[in-house]
Order: sequence, then structure tokens, then C-alpha cells
Amino acid sequence: MNNAKMWLVVKPTVGVPLFLSAVAVGSFAVHVAVLSNTSWVADFLSGNELGSGATAALSQETTVLPASAEAADLPMYLEASADGTETLRVILPDGRTGTLVVDDLTQAALVQ
Amino acid sequence: MSDDPDKVWPTGLTLKEAEEVHSYLIDGTRVFGAIALLAHVLVAVSTPWLG
Repeated sequence: MNNAKMWLVVKPTVGVPLFLSAVAVGSFAVHVAVLSNTSWVADFLSGNELGSGATAALSQETTVLPASAEAADLPMYLEASADGTETLRVILPDGRTGTLVVDDLTQAALVQ
Repeated sequence: MSDDPDKVWPTGLTLKEAEEVHSYLIDGTRVFGAIALLAHVLVAVSTPWLG
């Protein structure tokens, strides 16, 4: 049988647990990666419709801006950062400024 | 070290024993693979996984 001679060199008491552990660690790591990069597993575990978590995360972005940004008669400006980083300068209607840091397309945080 | 001339060191297994160990490992891998394949097909059709 192909590769069977490996057990003449590697003790089965060492090789078999090593092989099974490698399979276990590898598949665990892949599943953790799927869990941490998607929202539909959390949706499934919470009993929500699959994909509703991502939609909720997108709709939350509108709550980042403070109340003064909602003044209808005053303009608000967004300035792209000149240094090419993923930040935007926000000039609010009341004159205050802030920096909008864009972590990725679905997450944003407002820092003073 | 041993009376059996067929034993091979460092493990001390004969070629026949090594092939037996290997056959169990291959069988286990095939069963595991078949169950995993079925599970992945079910996940692929029932979740947004893989788009």
C-alpha cells in the first residue's frame, strides 16, 4: 500500500495522534476564520434570518453622526484625507470637526 | 533486539503490520472525508457560504 512504509520509521503511537491533531487543528482554524469573517453563522445561532446581521450593521452607520449634523439649513462637509489613509475629515454644521476612520466598507468610527 | 527477522527498526513493526496500520488510517480518512463532503454540500446549499 502506498506510503504504508512510513510506519516502519514513525511510531504509530506518535504519528497517528499527530495526524489526527493536525486535521483537528486545521479544520478548527478554518471554521474560526469563517465565523470571524461572516455574520450569517451568528444569525443562524441567534435564530435570525441568514444575512440579516450584515444588513443591520450597514443601517447602523447612519447613527454615527451627532445631532448637529442633522441641521437641514446648514451644510456639512466631508474632506478626503490628503495622505491617502482611510480617514475622512468631517466638518459639522456647528463648526466642529472630527475624523472619520474607515476600518472597512461596513464599519466606521468617529474619533475627535 | 528481536527474534522476528521481518521486524524493521526504528519502530519494530513488520511491513505487514505497517500496512495494516495504514489501511485503518486510510479507511478512517475516507469515512471522515465522505461525511465532511456531505456536510459541506449541505452547508453550501443552505447558507450564504461561498456566495
